[in-house]
Amino acid sequence: MEQQKGYKQELRGNWWLKHTFFKRYMLREATVLPLVFFLSVMLVGVFSLLDSVQFEAWQRLMAHPIVIVMNILALIAAFYHAFTFFELFPRVMPIRFGDKLLPASFIVAGQWIAVVAVSAGFISLFLHFGGAQ
Amino acid sequence: MSDNKCTVMVQRYLPESDSHAETSHHAAQVFMQSFEVPFDESTSILDALNYIKEELDPSLSFRWSCRMAICGSCGFMVNGIPKLGCKEFLRNYVTGQNKAELTIEPLAHFTVERDLMVNMDEFLHHLEAVQPFLMGDTSATIVNKQTPAQLAKYKQFSNCINCGLCYSACPQFGLNPEFVGPGAIALAHRYNLDSRDKGKAKRMPLLNEHNGVWSCTFVGFCSEVCPKGVDPAAAVNQGKVESAKSMLIQMFTGGN
Repeated sequence: MEQQKGYKQELRGNWWLKHTFFKRYMLREATVLPLVFFLSVMLVGVFSLLDSVQFEAWQRLMAHPIVIVMNILALIAAFYHAFTFFELFPRVMPIRFGDKLLPASFIVAGQWIAVVAVSAGFISLFLHFGGAQ
Repeated sequence: MSDNKCTVMVQRYLPESDSHAETSHHAAQVFMQSFEVPFDESTSILDALNYIKEELDPSLSFRWSCRMAICGSCGFMVNGIPKLGCKEFLRNYVTGQNKAELTIEPLAHFTVERDLMVNMDEFLHHLEAVQPFLMGDTSATIVNKQTPAQLAKYKQFSNCINCGLCYSACPQFGLNPEFVGPGAIALAHRYNLDSRDKGKAKRMPLLNEHNGVWSCTFVGFCSEVCPKGVDPAAAVNQGKVESAKSMLIQMFTGGN
């Protein structure tokens, strides 16, 4: 192959700092970090159920202010990721009726309604079993 | 023309001044040149470049043709964002009274041949590889009727003018030029969605590869900069759904 003439600017590692659009993208990708924290703590909690001493220690850990702050951060991250995911979803899975496209706002609203419904279901389940104790 | 003045910084690259470039330090031949260009409400970036070439410096090289956002020749980085020169106006870069400032550079992620001209071969190879044409029974004796609903499925993706702005917007293509990229995948998807086409099975193997649809992380900037509203990011990610289906079918049928 003929050697390519001219010059090419290599893309450096800091490419995403040049535009707010890219920064928002990196923020979306970074939401995984607090979620990894939440899931690891949750997993440790599930295993600690095997031993009552360990479970009490885990409960004390959960009451620690830093852990509470991290979990609030994880909740915010989950909502932000859900928000970006729900916005993109209608573009990936467009729903058509003949030559008409279902408006994206309908699909986005439908997803948030599903979030509210599932959350309400879990909260009522916890309240029910929590109250039985 | 009014007395509005715009300071246009243009990136120059003159390879013939590359004589002692044994060291291959091309950066030495790359420099920014400043021009004062008069402008009014209707002056486009392309008008400004033509003014520079005709009145100030005839050695400036850039591509253009139609002046109406359909040939796709005049893509440049304007203040770091990929734009079509004919579709972007100096009035959007006003910094003070009767003054404006902007920087014009060649399209990012491509090899620069001279000044604002880039080598588009990498994009064209990817475009060729996805076989963007109708395959199947297309003999003239067959009338390929299509309903409005069948047309609506792919119409948006057929508006691509191959300007390459999406490739300059895509960090994944910037990091890995082997990535088939937004424009070519959008066109592959356009033909896959066409009811008259029978070539999907031939296009999917390339799209299924790592350098096919799966190199995309849905940054989405390609769709932001697209001058024709094609939304290539949507095409690529719809392509992921198709690719997943195609790979599942392969798993169960054992074919390739």
